[in-house]
Amino acid sequence: MQPPEVATELYVLLSAILFILGALGVLLRRNAILVFMSIELMLNAANLALAAFARQWGNLDGQVLVFFVMTIAAAEVAVGLALIVAIFRTKKSTSIDDLHLFKH
Amino acid sequence: MELTLFIIVGAIAVVSAVLMLISQNAVHSALFLVLNFACIAFFYLMLSAAFLAMVQIVVYAGAIMVLFLFVIMLLGAERVLPEPHPRFPWLVPVAVVLALVFLIVVSLAVIQGEVDLSERAASEPYIRVVNAVDQLEEADVYLDGEQIASGLGYGEAGEFATWERGRYEVELFEAGADPETETPLATAKVDLNQGEAISFTAVGTRADPRLVIANEDLTGSDRSDALLVTVVNGVRSAPMIDVVRGTEASESAVLIDDLAYGAASNPTTITAGSTDLSVFSEGVRRDRLVTFEDRELTAEQGQLWVFATRYQDDNSFEDVFLALETNELPAFGSPASIGLALFARYALPMEMVALVLLVAMVGALIFTKDMIGTRRRVGRRLANPPAELQAPITPETAGHTSIEG
Repeated sequence: MQPPEVATELYVLLSAILFILGALGVLLRRNAILVFMSIELMLNAANLALAAFARQWGNLDGQVLVFFVMTIAAAEVAVGLALIVAIFRTKKSTSIDDLHLFKH
Repeated sequence: MELTLFIIVGAIAVVSAVLMLISQNAVHSALFLVLNFACIAFFYLMLSAAFLAMVQIVVYAGAIMVLFLFVIMLLGAERVLPEPHPRFPWLVPVAVVLALVFLIVVSLAVIQGEVDLSERAASEPYIRVVNAVDQLEEADVYLDGEQIASGLGYGEAGEFATWERGRYEVELFEAGADPETETPLATAKVDLNQGEAISFTAVGTRADPRLVIANEDLTGSDRSDALLVTVVNGVRSAPMIDVVRGTEASESAVLIDDLAYGAASNPTTITAGSTDLSVFSEGVRRDRLVTFEDRELTAEQGQLWVFATRYQDDNSFEDVFLALETNELPAFGSPASIGLALFARYALPMEMVALVLLVAMVGALIFTKDMIGTRRRVGRRLANPPAELQAPITPETAGHTSIEG
């Protein structure tokens, strides 16, 4: 099997960059929906690294794991968005800074 | 070429992620995230993960992002204004510094880390048994005492199955024999290595059988109009054979050259199509043993050819040509290969994931159930109320016409 033209290292680097952008989104954005989207970005970055390593080792386990991560992400989005909607009903806001319960 | 594509699509992915972070409109953010997911689906295609690319588009860019957009518009939260008085003003520089440190550490680990990434492992070895022993109507085959074929009829091949790597002894018995006490008809030693596909082909006669280790190739031919063929010589009377396309033994038509009795050829690429196949005896005199006419060879359907002779009742020998199909393995990352892995090795995790999905569904229902309880009671008319409700509202009927909705 001839070596691939794009090395696995490049995929891992791209995946790290996307992961960092997602982490920055979680830390800096105050909107709960955007925080959620940033988490999806981080999950996708991890998936990209998994698929790259699956090709590297010629092993399908990495790709199966990506499939599972996608399934769990779908479940997480369903619950998370339901939570955001429920919180919006009481707090009238999607800002995560308004989610404190002990002040006023 | 591939690298150029990678750089272009990688740049699009990073830029769309940054735009998702900084846009002030949540709907724009969601659309940039869809673009980012499409780029990642493209990378999956480049990483020979075709199934994941399709799932990425359908599940992520389709279902999940539609859910996001739906919630954004339901809550009217498109406008995301920066807060005039952030609660943690030090968070921005700290987060940026942390992110840069993380990026540097990962880059160093990737570039400087002397991880050997050159070796590319393949799957476990595959084995199967083929019985082409004259007058042995049913055969049992044991691999280090473990039965891998039972009651295998003449001319039949077992299914390919994975086996642990290592060195083994293969033993051929008549069906029903006890491997503990009886001596085997034939034995052979074999090394099973990663990525191999071995057919233990038993040839010869019942009095003097031989076990041939035929190494096949399940990955298939590189050409779409060709197939891979492995040939086993089981013709006792011919110490060496040539296999030729057509009936003339010209040099250009020779498919397999100088194959000894009890030996197997390497997997050979052969162009598909209908053809005559001749077997020539090699050695002292070169003559045609037999021609098998109009053999159909299907592209991308590998075959194991066993040439043998069979003793007839009238004291003659019949030439036998066994063409056994070798199904190619599903390509790496294809839906078939992922499905096989999910159903075979990952059946239990799959069930657990299904359970998690069920719990998530129930959880989402419970959250929305709370909302129904806090809904305002409204009294209003339906758009097209039934005739008995269209009467003017009087103090007597007012109680009946208000409808909860």
